[in-house]
Amino acid sequence: MKKASELNFGEKGIIKDINTLNPSHRRIIEIGFTPGQEIELVNTSLFNDPLTFSLRGTLIALRKIQADCIIVN
Amino acid sequence: MSEIPLINLVGPPNSGKTTLFNIFSGKHFKTVNYPGSTVEYSSSDFLDKFNLKAKIFDSPGIISLNANSPDEEVAVESLFYQPNNGIPDLILVTADSSQITRHLLLTQQLIDAGFKVILVLTMNDILNRKNLRVNSGLLSEILGIAVVKVNGRTEEGIEDLITTIKDNLKKPKRNPDHSSLAKFRKKEYIIDTFEKIEKIVSKVIEPINPDIQNANNQLSILNPTLKEPSQQPDALTLKIDKILLHKYFGFIIFLLMMGAIFTSIFWLAAPLMDLVDTLFSSLASYSSELLGNNWYSDLISDGIISGTGAVLIFLPQILILFLILGLLEDTGYLARGAMLIDKPLSKIGLNGKSFVPMLSGFACAIPAILSTRTISNRRERLLTIFIIPLMSCSARLPVYVLLIAYLMPPDKPWLGGFLLSFVYLVSIILSIIVAYVINKFNKSLIKAQDDSSFILELPTYKLPKLKVVLRNSYENSKEYILRAGPIILILSLIIWSLTYLPNNVPEFDKTGLTEEEVLQIEKSERISNSYAAKIGTFIEPIMQPLGLDWRVGVSLIAAFAAREVFVSSMALIFKVTDEENIQSSLISAMRNAKIESTGEPLFTISTSIGLIFFFIFALQCISTLAVSRKETGSWRIPLLQLIIFTSTAYIFTFFIINILKSFGIN
Repeated sequence: MKKASELNFGEKGIIKDINTLNPSHRRIIEIGFTPGQEIELVNTSLFNDPLTFSLRGTLIALRKIQADCIIVN
Repeated sequence: MSEIPLINLVGPPNSGKTTLFNIFSGKHFKTVNYPGSTVEYSSSDFLDKFNLKAKIFDSPGIISLNANSPDEEVAVESLFYQPNNGIPDLILVTADSSQITRHLLLTQQLIDAGFKVILVLTMNDILNRKNLRVNSGLLSEILGIAVVKVNGRTEEGIEDLITTIKDNLKKPKRNPDHSSLAKFRKKEYIIDTFEKIEKIVSKVIEPINPDIQNANNQLSILNPTLKEPSQQPDALTLKIDKILLHKYFGFIIFLLMMGAIFTSIFWLAAPLMDLVDTLFSSLASYSSELLGNNWYSDLISDGIISGTGAVLIFLPQILILFLILGLLEDTGYLARGAMLIDKPLSKIGLNGKSFVPMLSGFACAIPAILSTRTISNRRERLLTIFIIPLMSCSARLPVYVLLIAYLMPPDKPWLGGFLLSFVYLVSIILSIIVAYVINKFNKSLIKAQDDSSFILELPTYKLPKLKVVLRNSYENSKEYILRAGPIILILSLIIWSLTYLPNNVPEFDKTGLTEEEVLQIEKSERISNSYAAKIGTFIEPIMQPLGLDWRVGVSLIAAFAAREVFVSSMALIFKVTDEENIQSSLISAMRNAKIESTGEPLFTISTSIGLIFFFIFALQCISTLAVSRKETGSWRIPLLQLIIFTSTAYIFTFFIINILKSFGIN
């Protein structure tokens, strides 16, 4: 179990849960980060923030602090 | 049924919503503020050819009924009730077929809330290229609502959609349940709904030709863990991103690209701006010749024609800026640029999405402030609007050029370009510092507190549609002219009156003078006795600490109409006669100018450098204040901008001039 923000470049993970303590958690679920989905960290920019994930056939950029609420394994 | 039915159009961003609205309205729509907010929406009647008497309402894009920003709140509330239009009769919701699982969340919420809904599936051709399609009949059966496929480009399916709308309008009205919004906010609801949608999607997505091996491959490589027929991200996009979003090169490419855009805005626009300038100055002198030497001739040529020129001179830059930004946006790169710059900007309280408005600010603050609407976080949007006037807009360029030309030794003209780049660099660094400081105090300055976030879908790379890009830059330029034009024109007229009235020209000895020379002397005498000169004398105590006099003061006041008016006003006050080469004769006039009370030279190295810094900071643009007032919803921010930036400019200039003088640099 780890946070999506802790994935390595090119590493995949299956979403286990979304931490509701994060103020952005609702928008993150709504955009498609739901338990059971496979995500891949496809890009880390120069500052390692934001991060780009591949999800449901599309690419979504999130700040690290927001990716923190996505729990994967 | 005498009342015209109201149809509300909603959908996630990039789901083809606006394309659909343009088809229905034939682009003859009105864009107005939603009652009681600064959020804009468009509404229109259907084109006659559809033979449908109904009003269509287009609101900002939303991905769910849980609103996260003022724009989204309007979009959600307008579904239930609209202060000016009443209760909508029917909701059209768009969804991108190639993103169907994610886009159906909104549709499902609308159904759950009890709305009368028609689902419009767009981008079917993208899905078809993967040999897949949505079985819309089956989807309609499962969801219990009408589902219509539409192609926004060829308008295929529009007729079908119109028929479906007519059928649905005949059905009885529904009463949607506003209290269901509370349920939609629950984590469990959203996750359960997604699971439900995934099951539906797995049933309705089917291969177009099941015999083709390719189709089976497509289906089996889909998400193996879930058997959900979603797809992998576009392979070409991933490949391009390997370079453009490369950990190190990505940022370098981004900076190079922005540098290139920045220089090309000036470089490409320069000949066009010269053309506008020449056109209007010859038009002004022609009309002055034609009408003779009287007040209405002056009003028309110096007031109206020059004022119109002041509005149109920035048009080339604005057009080119929006053309380039439009091309970048349409290819899909702009979203990535916002991502790359998000981290550095977040350090000063801004957002990656602040970047494009800030870049636009170097052309003109007005379209730049308008383009902050894409920033969903209110605090970040207000802060972005706040610092945009610090971006050195193109109106400041003629002033910099004049003052730098004055500073330059005539034998080293190359130094000018170097110095100009330096001025821009300094202005960027100072803006960053100011943004940082304002962000530190933002709780008291900008009264909006909410959680900052950056969640952005990176679109698939595609070739830009030139037609769309051209249309957008046309729309943006039109907006600039309509919003800023009247203000600049009216102010130019006011400034003209102040410098012309009370039209007091004392008698002087005209012997031995040509008609031309008499006219010039009359002109300068008139301005020396004008109301503007009186105001100038009044503010002289303010100018004195800077080592400047009323003549510069008047030009600074005149610059409030548009900053570049500073140059023409200086030319007028310093009695520059040579029409052919205003700049060089103005510079020699500046070199000879003395402060009347002390006899010391007026323009020195220190005062010229000081004036450059004054223009970097000062908010001398009434149009910017007007747009800032409109976009922030009150006078609070524009007044703070005016006071903070102009007083900073004054204090900074004061220190620069006096520090330089204390080092013996006059």
